[in-house]
Amino acid sequence: MELLQTLINGVLTGFVYGVVALSFVVIYRASKIVNLAQGQVVMASAFFVWLFVLALGWPLWLGLPAALLASIALGAAIERAIFRRLIGQPVFSVVMASIGLLILIQGAAQLFFGAQTRPFPQVLPAGAWQLGPLLLNKTLLIGAVLTLLTGEGLHRFFTHTRAGLRLAAVAEDHVTALSLGVSVRWATAIAWMLGTALAMLAAVILLSGTVLGLQAAEIGLRALPVALLGGLESVRGASLAGVLVGVGEALASRFLDPLTAGAASLVFPYVLMILVLLLRPQGLFGWRKIERL
Amino acid sequence: MAMLPSGVFFSSHAAERALVRTPPQRLALAALLLVLVLLPLLLNDYLLGVLTLAGVTLVAVLGLHITVGMAGQLNLGQSAFVGVGAFVAAALAAKGWSLWLCIPAAALAAGAVSILFGLPAVRIKGFYLALTTIAAQIMFPIVMIRLPEAWFGGTAGLPVDPPAVFGLVLDTPRSIYGLVLAVVVLAFLGAANLSRSRIGRAFRAMHDNDIASSVIGVDLARTKIMAFFAGAFFAGISGALYAYYVRYVSTEQFTLWLSVWYVGMLIVGGLHTPLGAVLGVLTITALQEGVHAAGGWVMAQTGSSLSGGTVFALTNVVLGGVIVLMLLFEPLGLAHRWALLKAAYRIWPYPRA
Repeated sequence: MELLQTLINGVLTGFVYGVVALSFVVIYRASKIVNLAQGQVVMASAFFVWLFVLALGWPLWLGLPAALLASIALGAAIERAIFRRLIGQPVFSVVMASIGLLILIQGAAQLFFGAQTRPFPQVLPAGAWQLGPLLLNKTLLIGAVLTLLTGEGLHRFFTHTRAGLRLAAVAEDHVTALSLGVSVRWATAIAWMLGTALAMLAAVILLSGTVLGLQAAEIGLRALPVALLGGLESVRGASLAGVLVGVGEALASRFLDPLTAGAASLVFPYVLMILVLLLRPQGLFGWRKIERL
Repeated sequence: MAMLPSGVFFSSHAAERALVRTPPQRLALAALLLVLVLLPLLLNDYLLGVLTLAGVTLVAVLGLHITVGMAGQLNLGQSAFVGVGAFVAAALAAKGWSLWLCIPAAALAAGAVSILFGLPAVRIKGFYLALTTIAAQIMFPIVMIRLPEAWFGGTAGLPVDPPAVFGLVLDTPRSIYGLVLAVVVLAFLGAANLSRSRIGRAFRAMHDNDIASSVIGVDLARTKIMAFFAGAFFAGISGALYAYYVRYVSTEQFTLWLSVWYVGMLIVGGLHTPLGAVLGVLTITALQEGVHAAGGWVMAQTGSSLSGGTVFALTNVVLGGVIVLMLLFEPLGLAHRWALLKAAYRIWPYPRA
């Protein structure tokens, strides 16, 4: 029974990874940009929530949409100022730009908000539901349902609508997409607004009722192996990969951590990432790339 | 090869290929070296320390220039490799090994670890390879502090005794500066010559177009692993120097943040030449010291307590901004500007070609 509880906790944590991974995937799927600063974007969204709800004291129904708008505006600004100008540039420049962005947001957040931790509003209900002998964390469970619904909705959008299919063309190749009349600018703008909106969702699920600090950004690099395992092009894969990593981590923490002084669960996602890259570089559901000279 | 002024001719291939080709260049180089050797007499201990640390960083960034700029393999774990070098050097120095053995051992150890993380190169390329180096960086402190304390000191870290060279104990800022300067000159020469060797040409071919280079006989997997090894080799040397300079190593000194900074320095300076690494390290060090000084000045003027964290944050904002601006407006880095300036000077009064 204790094992079952471990598994359930793993699954629920996994969905948190899943929603952050989803925000990686959405940006990649629509614009072929791997944004290494995604953790910092999640942190920035969390600061917006804190700013509107706790600092300004707005009620949740007003503060959350305001924070969502602020996050989307941040995404649009990043796209307009940096990534629009890098359309058609090699992947290398784009990754580098996201690294510059990572340093910039981290520094700016520390400058404006300071390095101390602060409370984060209780957006989703706290506590746990009792299911027989098992406990289900309410925040994480609601978060998991939201993640699944959003993932499914985005999957429909990307595979069943004209606009979504255009975005897929951009993810395939910028130049080809342009020559087919697809606006890459429009695609990157959509990508960033969707990506930052998802980052806001991730921030709420991750931090609801806990504390917020600069280290919230670390979720970005913890979720990166998840996005990779699911496949960077696969919207549905992100949640599933999140669950796999969450469960693996929970099991490693239960059975291996006592033997390794707590290292196993921390190292697990990254070892998994290296194995995925070695055995199946495109991830579970990613697109296989075929290259010609 | 940059353009030379008209009227300069060479009568042998060796003279044409030399790194320093004309008498004025030789003169300038001699003057530069003289200044570098005499600097300790002019600077105070603080500035000398800043410069020494810049030299230590430069060795690591020169390595990064090989992996990233020459071979085109993104490496976001350079500071972990520096860390491996530092810990190995510290552990061996504690066993009484001399500097002559510690530095090569540190370099080889860092190189060996990098091979472990370069192995996925057999299957993957480009951005994905960068992810394995991020994994290396994140796993480094987690694993390091859990290894037996007798090896690398665990969470407490390792103290390092000052090294001795030819019976001379290097325990003053000036003597350590001398050691670092000597190694930096060697590392610069190594990096500059590597790009002109067979391996270096393979690196550059792979950087330009990996599929095309594999068609003309470059073994991609092997070359990628070699690129990682070469970069980490430099990182290991940098780590050993760091251990000797700071005389104490612990895992908190080698963060992902530092790796990101290394890449930032390389972008600002220019990825494709060793000169770019030098310019990048010097520019960012100067910026950092400038922000520090400005922060201190503001504190003194207003009497407010500006914390060290704020200065650090401001430095990050400046560095992040500079990286993004360089990528947008001068992706080839400061080194390219310098090359343009030199060319314009040489063909003056004719307009730029």
